[in-house]
This record gives sequence, structure tokens and C-alpha cells, in this order.
Amino acid sequence: MARRGSPARLIVALSVAAVLAVFLLYTSIAGGGTPSLQPSQLQGHTGRVSLVGLVAGQATGDAHAGGLHFMLRDRHAMTSVPVVYKGSVPDLFKTGREVVVDGKLWNGTFVAVPNTLVTKCPSKYAPKK
Amino acid sequence: MPDLGRAALVTAFLLLVYASVAGTFAAWHSRRRLAQSAQNALIAAFGATAVAAAVLLAALARHDLSFTYVAQHTSRELPLGYTLTAFWGGQEGSLLLWLLVLGGYSVAAVLTARRVGREVLAWVVPVLGLVGTFFALLLVFVASPFATQPAPADGAGLNPSLQNPYMAVHPPMLYLGYVGLTVPFAFAMGALLARRTDERWIVATRRWTLAAWAFLGVGQLLGAHWAYVEIGWGGYYAWDPVENAALMPWLAATAYLHSVMIQEKRGMLKVWNVLLVTLAFCLSIFGTFLTRSGIIQSIHSFTQSSIGPWFLGFICFITAASLALIFLRLPLLRAKTRLESLVSREATFLYNNLLLVALALTILWGVVYPLLSEAVTGEASTVSKPYYNFFLHSFGLPLLLLMGIGPLIAWRRASLRALGRTFLWPTAAAVVAGIALLAAGAGSSRVGVIAYTFSVFVLASIVLEFARGTSARKALGGVGWGGAFASLIARNRRRYGGYVVHAAVVLFAIGVAGSSAYQTVREARLHPGDSMTVARNRLVFRGFESSTQPNHRAIRANIDVYRGGEYLGRYRPGKNQYFAEDQVSNEVSIRHDLLTGADLFLIADQVNSDGSVDLKALQKPLVNLIWFAGFIFVGGSLIALWPDAREERRLAERYEGATMRA
Repeated sequence: MARRGSPARLIVALSVAAVLAVFLLYTSIAGGGTPSLQPSQLQGHTGRVSLVGLVAGQATGDAHAGGLHFMLRDRHAMTSVPVVYKGSVPDLFKTGREVVVDGKLWNGTFVAVPNTLVTKCPSKYAPKK
Repeated sequence: MPDLGRAALVTAFLLLVYASVAGTFAAWHSRRRLAQSAQNALIAAFGATAVAAAVLLAALARHDLSFTYVAQHTSRELPLGYTLTAFWGGQEGSLLLWLLVLGGYSVAAVLTARRVGREVLAWVVPVLGLVGTFFALLLVFVASPFATQPAPADGAGLNPSLQNPYMAVHPPMLYLGYVGLTVPFAFAMGALLARRTDERWIVATRRWTLAAWAFLGVGQLLGAHWAYVEIGWGGYYAWDPVENAALMPWLAATAYLHSVMIQEKRGMLKVWNVLLVTLAFCLSIFGTFLTRSGIIQSIHSFTQSSIGPWFLGFICFITAASLALIFLRLPLLRAKTRLESLVSREATFLYNNLLLVALALTILWGVVYPLLSEAVTGEASTVSKPYYNFFLHSFGLPLLLLMGIGPLIAWRRASLRALGRTFLWPTAAAVVAGIALLAAGAGSSRVGVIAYTFSVFVLASIVLEFARGTSARKALGGVGWGGAFASLIARNRRRYGGYVVHAAVVLFAIGVAGSSAYQTVREARLHPGDSMTVARNRLVFRGFESSTQPNHRAIRANIDVYRGGEYLGRYRPGKNQYFAEDQVSNEVSIRHDLLTGADLFLIADQVNSDGSVDLKALQKPLVNLIWFAGFIFVGGSLIALWPDAREERRLAERYEGATMRA
């Protein structure tokens, strides 16, 4: 097979270049992604982060009015942070469940982006410790 | 009983080891009888696996709680149907299902694919045996479904969200898809090992690949529908890692299904095809790994367990071994012909392949991004919906357009004048549709308008293909329009089945674009008598109603729906409170409008103690086209899969001739 000037090679090379260009374009516009943190790692982060933790204590307030207030703590430590959240609350949300919620730390309180609360599977289906 | 299950698994394991080792030796030294014996071991291993599966099924049916697996995944009051589906509700059972399905595919493929040639088949057996050995190894030594314990009073029960009719079909379909991709992979490797790099292995596995791909597609659609009607957030796909795990191999397999046609017709893209089939297979193993290891945070997060490293090792081994083999055989994989023009059917297929693979790889990048960013920066980062949507639009829309161009463009080299003639009508239809859409106010979503314009283009070109073919057939004389149409499809099932699948993909795209780009969402807190409006529907809250069922308390919000003064009926979204599981579940209410394909999706988001409800209402235009497309997809796949005596004869002549010459 003649190696010089094969259109197939040209297509592949150009496409790879195009895909990389599209990719770079995306990362330069939208940034690299959202950091995924536990409450103890929150300090010093001012931008939007994805907070992962266990619901600690009783949740109070109204998610569809003033906001739902609850504490999130680390999976394996007692560090916790107060969270205020508005929007849909998943069925599985309750004390002790692992949840993920997006938002920003503001004056010591994690202010969540509305409708970003997601619960993970109940601990019953996790391995026994 | 558990001893029988364990013994069956050990037997299967030993037989598979024998099939791998003896099969390799036999293929290497061309020992025909030993090769036959390895093949028999592969078949016997399927039998042993079936015995193990029967033992587990019997234990489930008898609620034998001395089986740890049964105790952990069922309970005594669980209905029989769900008790049996618990077979694949947990990790050990899922692995057993993998091995069972692999055995079934292996036996069927090896017994029906004789045309591939004895040398290739001799190598296919040990490759299949090796993959099987891996799963049997896990089942025997790492995650046995036959572990026993003193029987507890009752089992732990099945996760309530799995107690759903979809549980009976969605996971098995996905498994049939994932596992089926092993067949073309094994034959590709067999062909390389045997140095028989003609297209026979592709022809021999064509139907198996197509079937696996169709199962994977249908499995995902069923999962999407399950999420849509049951989970109750108003969507059907959330770019969750576990969902992506099934999408990636499907995209790679889609690329493969197209690129093999180029090899069959023009003898090109041989390296690319073996790379693609390896990619598809590795992605399917990776998918199983993702869902089973819990390494990446997912809302699905199944059992976290110790099998992760095993899978990772296996993926690394498979990837390294197949790449090394492909590299060694590169001299045999030289193309016979070259691409002649950038504007031709071949080139279009190549563009389609590159876009599909690019889409699969960007999704893969998104899935592993948390791991990579943690390894590099020490802090895990995740990408979410905007990332995936961006690449879906960047690569998916051109793909949609290509679907209209590919089938009409000439092989080898298309002239500009011919192009103008071929695409006149589809282009005209697309332009008219675009203008009409803009006039109708669809311009609110640029992506939506582009998707619809492209869709019309593709549909027009498909209709044109069918019309041209039918009239050409009719011109041959002797048949009416209906007869000509039927014989057109019957004479080239693969091609026209493919077009039907294309039509399904277009309908799917229309449904997705309609329900995401043009959906309306309204939320409000309603007291009895209050009303809200969503997309011309007036919703009036008439108060709550509650009832107590054996295992849950049901609360329903009575919502009367009116449109323009006309009463459309009462809808009852609400919540169920399960006593035993201490769990609440959202019960959505959906009004289907079959005429327009739109859904009015009602969620009682929050039930308040003062008698008010926080109601979320979504108007999702055209969403039903997505499910309708599923039926068309199955139909098209069946047309392409249907046995074809004429094709068989053609192939027989071609390859028997080739063997005689060689």
C-alpha cells in the first residue's frame, strides 16, 4: 500500500486534530470539572464544589420555602458543615444517608445549588464493616 | 445442594482451563482431535454452569436462607417473581449470569460458525475459554454464590427500587448485550492468531454482533423507561457512570457494525476493525467492572467489593495481549484497496466511525475523570451534564447528518453533479422544515432546530431510498407496490433493516430533542383549590387522599387537569411510605397525549402538614417517540438478523470457491 498521501490517513489525522480542538475548546470555556470534596476538605475552596457526606442530625426547615437545613459530615470523621438547600429532596434522603450536593461555602455555611441533591444507595446494600 | 452448586462451578472452571490450555496447544500444533476435545470441554462447561445456575434458582425459589446469597437478597414475603429476579440482584448471581450467558453464546457461535474455517475455530475456542476462565475463577475463589450460613429467621429483602417488572428484563438484556460482544472479539483474535485475516471471521459473527448490539440497545432503552416512570425526577438519562458504562460499548459496537461493511465490500480498514472490536469488548468488561467495583461514585453504586482489582488486571491483560497480537499481525492486515476520495460512501463510513469513537472516548474520559484528577492533583473532580451534553451535540449532530448522507452517496467516488441530484429532495425537505420550525417558534433552542432539520433530511433520504428501490423492483414487472416493497426488503435484509434502524434513531433523536430542548417545567406550592399552569394545561389541586396498603401507606394529591376549559381528567401523583424498609418512594403521575407524543409529568415533590403540596409539573413534548423508536429499532434489527437462505448460498459459493483455490 502506498503510504504517501493516503486520504484515509489524512482523514484520521484531521479528525483527531478536530476532536482535540473541540475538547480543548470545551475545557478552556467550561473549565476542568467540579471538585468533589468531603466537608473537612472544604476550607479554602471558594468556587462551586460537589460536596459528599453523610447526613448528620435532624434536617429542619422547608426545602420549598426558607430552605432545608441539615449537617453533612465526613464519611470517616466527625468534621461537619451546615448546609442550606432548596428544591426537590430525593426519597432516600434521611439521617445517616450518604448524599452529594453542589454548592459554595459562604460564611461557614454550604449554600447548595437548587435541585442538585442526590442520595446514594442505602447502607444496607453496602459491604458490612 | 450448595455442594452441588460449588462442584458444578469447580467443574466448569476446570473444563474452561482445559479448553484454554489444550485448545491453545491444539491450535498451535494443528492437532485436530485435541482441538475437538477442547471444543467439547467448552460445551460441557456451559452444561456445568447451567447446573450451578439451576441450583441457585432452586435455592431462591425455595427461600433457602442457608444460602448467604438468598438471605442477603430476598425475604420470605417477597413475591416469587422478584425472588427469582434476585438471581441478578446481587454481585455473585450477576457474575454467574455472565458466565452462563457467555457459555450459551460460546456454544451457539462455535457450533454455527463452521464456515470460518477450522484453523480459526481452533483458536476461537481457547480465547472464549480464557474469558470464561476469568469469570469462573471469580465465582469459585472470590465471589461464590454458594456460600452458606446458619439460616436466619428472614432474609434482608430486595431493594424496593428493584421490585419492579423492569427488573425482569432490563438487566438480562444488558447482559445479553455486554457478554455477546465477546463473540466477535474471540473470532477476531482467533483469526489473527490463525493468520487468517480475510473477512470470514466478520461474516461468521455478523449476526452474533448484531444481536448483542441490539440487546444492549434495547436494554438501555428499557433502563431509561424504568427510570422515567419509576424514579420520578422527570428524566430518563442522567449521564451517570453506570448508564455510561452501557452506552460506551454500544457506541463502539455501532461503529464496528458499520466499518465491517467496508472491509467486506472493499477490503479496507482491517486494522481499524480489529481495534474496534477489541475496544468494544474491553469497554463491555470495563462496564461490568464499573457497575460491580463501586470505584466511581454513582447513584447506582451497587455492592462495593474486592473484585475490582481482578477486573482491572483482566482489562489490562486483555488490552495488552490484543494490542500486541494486532501489532504482530500488522503485515497481514494491509488493505487491498485504498480510499479513493474524501467524498464517497467509504469516507462517510469512516467519518461516522471517528465520530462514534470520539463520542465513546469523551464519555470514557468523563467517567474516569474523578480518578485521573485525583491521581494528578490529589483532589477528585467530576464532570457533569454540561460536559456530556456539549460532546453529544458536537459529535451527535454531525452523526445524525451523516446518517442521511451515507446511504445515498456513491461508493469509491461521488461527483458533485451526482451529489446535487441525489440530495436535492432531502435537502429541500430539510430547508422547508427548518423554515417552518423557525416560523413556529422552535428557534428558542438552536440545537433543537438543527437536530430537527437534520432529522427531516435523514427521514427524507430514507423514504427516497425505499421509494427508488420499490419502483425499480416494480419495474421488473409482475408485482404491485406492496409486493415490490416486500421483496425489496426480503432481498437485502441487512441493508433495509439498517435503514429501518436509522429511522428509529432519527425518531429517538426527535424525541430526545423535543423532551429536553423544548420541555417546560413549573413548580408551585398549592393549597386545596389553588391552580397552576404549565404549557396550556391548568392544574387544580383538590386535596389529598390517603389509604393504607399491606406494606405501605399511600398518599395521593388529586390534581384535575384542564386545557382551554376542557376537563382532561384527574391525575394522582403522590408518595408511598413503606413500613418495613422505612422508606418513602415518589409515585409520579403521567398523562400521555398519544396524538402529539407529549407527556404531562406530575410530581408531588413535597407533602406539607398544612394540607398543601409542592407540585412539580413538566410538559415533555414528543417524549413518547423515544419509546416508540424502541419498537422500530427492534423491528429493524430483526429484519437485519433474520436468516436469509439466499445470502447463505451466496456466501457458501464464495467461500467454498476460495477454499478450493487456496
